[in-house]
Amino acid sequence: MSAVATILVVCAISIVSLIVLSAIDANQQTELTEYLDEVKLRYEEDGIDSILEELDLEPQTLWDRKESFERLNEHDAIFALFIDDELILGTELTLPASSDVRWQTLDFGSNQSFKLLTLTIQLDEQQLLSIAQPVSYEHEFTSSILVRFGIILSCILALSCFIYFLIAGGNSKKATQQIVARLSEIGQSPDTARLSVDSKIELHKDIVHATNEMLDQITFLHGRAKTMSVGIAHDLKTPLSRVANRLQCMRQDLGDNNAIDAHITRASEDLNAVITTFNNLVRLNSIESGKHKNNFIQINLSELITDLALSYQPVFEDSGRVLELSAVDNVYCFGDSDLLSQLICNLFENALEYSHSTANVWIRLQSHTGSALLQVGDDGPGISLQDQPHIFERFYRADVSRSKPGNGLGLSIVKAICDVHDAQLCLLPDQTGAVFNIEVPISN
Amino acid sequence: MNVLIVEDDMDTASFIKKGLVQQGESVQHVASASEGMIVASSSEFDVIIFDRLLPNMDGLDAVKVLRASNITTPIIMLTALGDTADRVAGLDAGADDYLVKPFDFSELYARLKALTRRKPISQSTMSLSLGGLVVERTSRKVTRDGQVIDLNTKEYQILEFLMQSPGQLVTKTMLLEKVWGFNFDPKTSLVQTHVSRLRNKVDKPFNIELIKTVRGCGYIISND
Repeated sequence: MSAVATILVVCAISIVSLIVLSAIDANQQTELTEYLDEVKLRYEEDGIDSILEELDLEPQTLWDRKESFERLNEHDAIFALFIDDELILGTELTLPASSDVRWQTLDFGSNQSFKLLTLTIQLDEQQLLSIAQPVSYEHEFTSSILVRFGIILSCILALSCFIYFLIAGGNSKKATQQIVARLSEIGQSPDTARLSVDSKIELHKDIVHATNEMLDQITFLHGRAKTMSVGIAHDLKTPLSRVANRLQCMRQDLGDNNAIDAHITRASEDLNAVITTFNNLVRLNSIESGKHKNNFIQINLSELITDLALSYQPVFEDSGRVLELSAVDNVYCFGDSDLLSQLICNLFENALEYSHSTANVWIRLQSHTGSALLQVGDDGPGISLQDQPHIFERFYRADVSRSKPGNGLGLSIVKAICDVHDAQLCLLPDQTGAVFNIEVPISN
Repeated sequence: MNVLIVEDDMDTASFIKKGLVQQGESVQHVASASEGMIVASSSEFDVIIFDRLLPNMDGLDAVKVLRASNITTPIIMLTALGDTADRVAGLDAGADDYLVKPFDFSELYARLKALTRRKPISQSTMSLSLGGLVVERTSRKVTRDGQVIDLNTKEYQILEFLMQSPGQLVTKTMLLEKVWGFNFDPKTSLVQTHVSRLRNKVDKPFNIELIKTVRGCGYIISND
């Protein structure tokens, strides 16, 4: 920023100087033209003597090369008056001829040269006057002042820029070192420590903000991973330790075929629970990957739900509960029927597991502008307030003892299926039981 | 039953082989897709078990090649990939069935049996009968000893599926796939509940129990 500003200021100064100088030049040009016009007029009136008088010169004055140089050096003009191509007055130098007033350069060699304003006028048929006027004092003075002023100003600017960068760079380096040091501290306790820095530089503030946001997200994911690994450990440990116990029992019961057979059956059941947990994890990851989206089609949700409800009604009945179906015909949505079936099955199974033993459970389906509205609910006892925010987390179990079968993945799978369908899933607040509302878009 | 196993994992292969030999079936095992394709196209088998993840070649492509060269032997694919999309891809490639590892041997065996007897029971068999139980496939009418039995859709579908393979094990998973079209396993006793209702209607009023439970595996319908 500062560098750009400096360059702009230097440019502006240069442009102003050039404008001023060219104004002075133009002024000198006009003056010379007017002066020579007057010389010519006097010659026409009074002849050559009047010119000599005007120019304050003795007749027959001739300037050699040295004298010409000195005159020019003193900012005096030099002339050359020719009569019939013979120099009778003025400089012996060959002046550049020009029929109008213009700036030309006269070279004296050894790096000596003069910028001259030249004009050649024909006084009459025989007499020719050439005049060369060096840059005026005024011009020289102004230009030297301007150039010096420009140089000084540029130097000051450059210096101040340098100083600024030195100070700012020092600050920046200090702040950067501070950030680096703090980051390695945060590495020790990434869940609680956050970045802060004493810097007024916007970039640093942005970095601090972004880093802290990233840390928050990492903390969230870390927490989820922790819950998950604890969950996996618990869900695997229970059935696996049962299998281990069974194996010990088998050793004790060797020879008793019936007992051995019973142990094998129970051990297989426990191992199947482990395999189911893994299958669900794989399934969950596969749903979350979104690859099912390629197979999405228009689905008659009414038929799918009616079919599932009819299948589950006997199961609810056998458990002492009632499943009521209330679905509007021909409600469509865009999705994968296998996933949507699992979504509903998981909600049914959740109700079978957690509602009271004679609960009323219902499934309702209606259409709404652009979406299908699905509700699966029961009349109690519902999910406690402290558990509500966590029910869709993997391996979260309201039942801390994990005494009931299952693996806390059912509702995570429900959530993942809703997400892949761009469906809104929510647990309705302030209900007597657990009531899930799902809004599935009708088209893609 | 003459079975070809194409499986690179020796433990899985010997597990399957041992089970099949115990059942009195004859087994040949090869460990690579290329060998599998050569053997499958040069000898006659009743069914082929093809692993999906083989070194150097996807089992899926091998099955495609076999089908393209008019080898119509029933094929069941084994895979560690349990997803619907993978399953559909397997069936699209020309496999007849798809089983996810780890599997129960009885599950595999039941499926092999179902594949090998597919030919004799054609869709044109309009009436299935067993021990006085008659299932009319066009009218979906079920009678036992002349008495009409009223079944709902799912009960009828389960019975029809069992009746297509009398004396053979039909697993819970097979029923979930064929009757409900599920590629996932619901936690609850969905299948048990419906089979139990079916039994109440088909077996309970009569002296002989036709539908038998194979504990932890599935069901067999037979007149023994």
